[in-house]
Order: sequence, then C-alpha cells, then structure tokens
Amino acid sequence: MSVMNSRPALRWLVPAAAVAVVVGGGAAVGTLAATAEPSLPPRTAQQLLVDLQTARLDGLSGTVVQSADLGLPNLPNLSGAGSGTADIASLLTDTNQLRVWYSGPDKTRVALMGTLGETDVIRNGKDLWLWSSKQNKATHRTISDADTRSHQLPTDLPLTPQEAADRALAAVDPTTEVSVGRSATIAGRDAYELVLAPRDKASLVGQVRIAIDATEHVPLRLEIYPKGSDQTAFQIAFTQIDFARPDEAQFRFNPPPGAAVEESTGVPEAAKPDRPEGAPKTAEEAGVTTVGEGWTTVVVAKGGEDAAAGQQDEQAKQVLGVLTPVSGAWGSGHLLSGRLFSALLTDDGAIYAGLVSPERLYEVALEHK
Amino acid sequence: MSAVEVAAPPAARSLPVPFRFLRSELGLIARRRRNQAGLAVLAAVPIIIAIAVRVSSPTSSGGDQGAPQFLSSITGNGLFVALAALALEIQLFLPIAVAAVAGDAIAGEANVGTLRYLLTVPVHRTRLLAVKYAGIVAGAFVATVTVAGTGLLAGLLLFGGGDVTLLSGTTIGMGEGLLRLLAICLYLTACLAALGAVGLFVSTLTEQPMGATIAIVMFNMVSWILGVIPQVDWLHPYLLTHWWNNFGDLLRDPVAWDPLRGGLLSAAAYTVIFLSAAWARFGTRDVTS
Repeated sequence: MSVMNSRPALRWLVPAAAVAVVVGGGAAVGTLAATAEPSLPPRTAQQLLVDLQTARLDGLSGTVVQSADLGLPNLPNLSGAGSGTADIASLLTDTNQLRVWYSGPDKTRVALMGTLGETDVIRNGKDLWLWSSKQNKATHRTISDADTRSHQLPTDLPLTPQEAADRALAAVDPTTEVSVGRSATIAGRDAYELVLAPRDKASLVGQVRIAIDATEHVPLRLEIYPKGSDQTAFQIAFTQIDFARPDEAQFRFNPPPGAAVEESTGVPEAAKPDRPEGAPKTAEEAGVTTVGEGWTTVVVAKGGEDAAAGQQDEQAKQVLGVLTPVSGAWGSGHLLSGRLFSALLTDDGAIYAGLVSPERLYEVALEHK
Repeated sequence: MSAVEVAAPPAARSLPVPFRFLRSELGLIARRRRNQAGLAVLAAVPIIIAIAVRVSSPTSSGGDQGAPQFLSSITGNGLFVALAALALEIQLFLPIAVAAVAGDAIAGEANVGTLRYLLTVPVHRTRLLAVKYAGIVAGAFVATVTVAGTGLLAGLLLFGGGDVTLLSGTTIGMGEGLLRLLAICLYLTACLAALGAVGLFVSTLTEQPMGATIAIVMFNMVSWILGVIPQVDWLHPYLLTHWWNNFGDLLRDPVAWDPLRGGLLSAAAYTVIFLSAAWARFGTRDVTS
C-alpha cells in the first residue's frame, strides 16, 4: 500500500487487472471449450448411423439452446410476440432456451423458457399437457394408440436434438452424401459429427451436421448450414446434459387452481398451424402435390379461388404486405425467400414451397400454370 | 448531509468504532427526506397494481401480449402482486433509487463541502468508500424488500394467499413461495448492488450528485435498450441488466440455477471492476471541497 500512496497513479493497475481477469477469464473459458477437439477412435458414417438408431436411452435431462436465422422477413404473426413470451412460434425466429426431461418415449417433458414465462409440453403415458404460464392455461389431450405410432410430440417443430436428428435421418437416401466430420465437445461430452450434404446442388441446404455422443450415441447437436455459408440457419444443441433417469415428479402435471383448462381432441392450439375453419384436412383434399424428390422437392398447393378469397382477414393482409411482390411468365404473386427455403404465393391462390431457390419455384409454377 | 449529523448519537458510542461510521451513514441515508419520498413512491406501485386488478373485472384475461408479467396470476394469489411489482420496477424505479443513493455517496458530500471534514477526522479513504458502498447495498436491499413487502401485504389483503403456481405450472405451498420471494429479493439486491458499484465510481468522478445520479440512470437505460436490440445480441450477456429478469428462474420447477449463476457472476464482475476503479479514482483525487 505504501507504494500506492507514494505513486497514486499505480492504483489504476488494480481496476485494470480486474478487467483483465474478468475479460481474459471469460475468453479463456470460451476458447478452451471451442477449440478442444477430443481424440476419438475413428468411426465410419455407417457405424454412426447404426449407433444412432440402436441407441438405448433410459433417460436424460438437460438444457438445450436453439437458434434460428432463417433470413425471413419479420412476419407479424411470428415475431410480434416479442422475446419474453415463450411461444412455440418463437422457435422459428429467436434464440431459445429449453429444458428437456426424457424417461422413455411415453414420459417426456419440454419446457420452453421465456423471460418470466414458460411453455411446457408434458407427455406422461396417455396424457399430453400443454401449459402456458403467460396465458395461465393448460390444454389436455388424451393420446390414442394410433397417435403414438405416428408421432410423440404434438408439434411439427423439432424440440429435442433426438427428434430433430430423427427427422434429418429420414431424409437419408440416395439423394444424400453422408460423411464423418471433426469430433467435437458439446456440453462437456465428446461427440462424433455426422455430416449430411444433399447431392442435388439445386437445394438451398448446404450441410446438416449432427453431433453424436461418443458413448451414449445420443444426438447432442444439430446444425443446418445453408449452401455457401458458414453461419447456421438453424441450430439446436445441448448446453448441459445428464443421462440419469429424471425423477417421476418431473412428468406429473396437475393443472394449477385458477388456470383455464381446456380439453382438446385434436392437436393443441398453440402447436397447430393457423388454418381457417373448415379447411380441408387431408393433403389430397387440399390439392397438395409434390414435384421432384429428395432435397429439392417442391410442394404445390392449389387452393383455387376459395383460398385466395379466404385470405381476407387482417393478419393475412399484413403478412402479404411484408412479402416481396414478384411476377413473371408464370403470373404474379408474393415471394417468401429465406436462407433455407422459399415459398411462392401466386395471386390465383396456389402455393409453391421447397428447400430451393425462388427460380426453381418459378419453373415449377410455369409448368403448373 | 452535514458534518453535524455525522456526529453519532450517544447510544452509538457503545458500538465498536468501525460500526459507528457505518451506523451514522445508514442513519444519514434513512433520514434524508428525498430517500423517504422515493421509498414511498416505490411502495405505491404495488398498491396501485393490487387496487387496479381488484377493481377491474376479475374475468379479464391476462393473455394480452403487452400486459405486464404475472398480472394474470394475481387474482389467484396475492403473492403475485409482489412479483408483478418487482418485474415492473426493476427496469427503472429500483435503479433510480440505487442511483439516488449512490450519486449522493461521494459527490453529495463533495457538493455540500463535507467531504474534506469527513477525511480530516482520521478516516481512511478506503474505509470511507467501504462504508459508502455498504450504505448503497443496504439501500438496494431495503428498496427491493419494500416493493416486495408492500406488494405482499396489499396482495394478501385484497386477494388472499394460498398455494403458489410456479411458471412451470406446478404448485408449491405458501411457505415455500415466501422463501422463493425472499430469494428473489436477495438476487435482485445483488444485481442492484452491481449497479451501485458503478454508481459509486461515477460518484467519485464529480462533485454534482444530480449529475452522478442521472449518469447512473442513463447507464441503466442504455443497458436495457441495448438488451432489446437483436443486432447486438453478441453483446447481451455482457450487459449488466441482461440477467436481471432471470429472477423468474427461481419460479421454475426445478429452479433453473444456470442463468442465476450467470447473473450473479456478471454482477460480481461489475462490482469488482467498478469498486476497484472507484478506489483508484478516490485515492488519487484531490479533495478540495
């Protein structure tokens, strides 16, 4: 202290050191985690695929961070809710934190954590609950055996890396080049990385990377890179994981007193895509067809005059307002163009969508005119 | 506010010397009229919330996107008045309270010309800073507890208590609910204490307490504003205020400790850096007033 009394300017070394420790310490932890590449015995892509499909998982719990940068314009009904609401729609636009508990396929719980809010999807046996703290509302649905076979969670969005990877693997067929990437450390665990790349270069998807736990064979991270970009368009990864079977109490849900309880027979409302009343239920009824196959499949939905006339509500107009008006030999309409997919809404009510560039959609639209 | 007031009342003489200074500082903060008025305003917010929810139709849904947090749960349990008030006040009112106390700490003494008298009494500058900072932390705690306590009282009177519904949809008993409310108060005090450290540093830079207070409030506001701009999301974890709303993680089942740990680490980092900066600045400064 006597040195500091005689040379007071030296006192500033103390806050400077504090800054250095805080910043340097934080950066060191970050780099260590990022660069550490574990040395794992080599494994082929086939072996990893088999590992994935034969993984026997008793249970796990962990924290998942999901982020999407699809390059879409701000659609009013998607992003208007802000970040604090923990809506399932925010999975498309924001960075989200989820907590997952898994204890066999009929005992799962996913909690989407928002600022001062939470949305939970809880599956316990035949009971499926959707809880929204913001709305103070619980939606219950009893799952029939038929549902169990078709899907386990009521939403079309991948909520856990396990589910997300399952879907990506469903696309593995002659259209896809599968290879093994660099090993990585995720949530403190060593992992192999499986790289899927579309063979058809017309697809907007560049690579899908799945990191697989080296010992438990569970997907720990899924990344989707658009073609020619090293920034993910979609990413979901565990930041913390524990393979112990979670406590039974995690899957027990009783609607709290005072909350609105809704009995649902169909898909819970929050997970259901906005669809007008009385819309056709099956793909054939709705006039949905596909063109091409694999990664460059284009979905064609011809709603006819009815669909065009049905889009009169305020929200639909707002959505159309932010889309780019386009026209060409195929006619005219509105284009939704993102980093991973494009969608074309023509003025005569047809919808073309796929993981392809807008040009490909124009070609298909011209063929179907 | 003056050297006269600093002279401890006779009862304090029995205390060990280091605590006499702290005690007189706390008394000084508590006796200031503007601090008392500020505390009254802080306490008014939860009362207004409780009455507003009570007189409005009980069936009005709280599902509106713009509605303040926790508002929809108030009718079920009065405890949520305290939580709604804390969520509302943590953005501006509580930081203003801390800024007012912190701005006064050094700059206030310098402004009314009592700082040099304080230092001529054999008080080491480091100890003076320590006592001033302890006063700020105590002020932050009292402010937070006042908001929570008034909210709890008003809520229990108007809506009654009972089991508490957590964000995860699980219910816990009233006792555990109160414990969690106390934990939230402590967490928010730690967050505000970090702002207080920034404030103490700013207060050593100037002789104008008003200027210091405004600077601290602006620092807080800029931090909140940067926190909602998505283009700078890489910066967000480093913002002081980024972690404050994570007090809600104490209301999950099970409690999500990771974000809370991040918040406490961030608060500790800010506190250490700005306290040492205040110490460096105050030690090298010429005290002329």
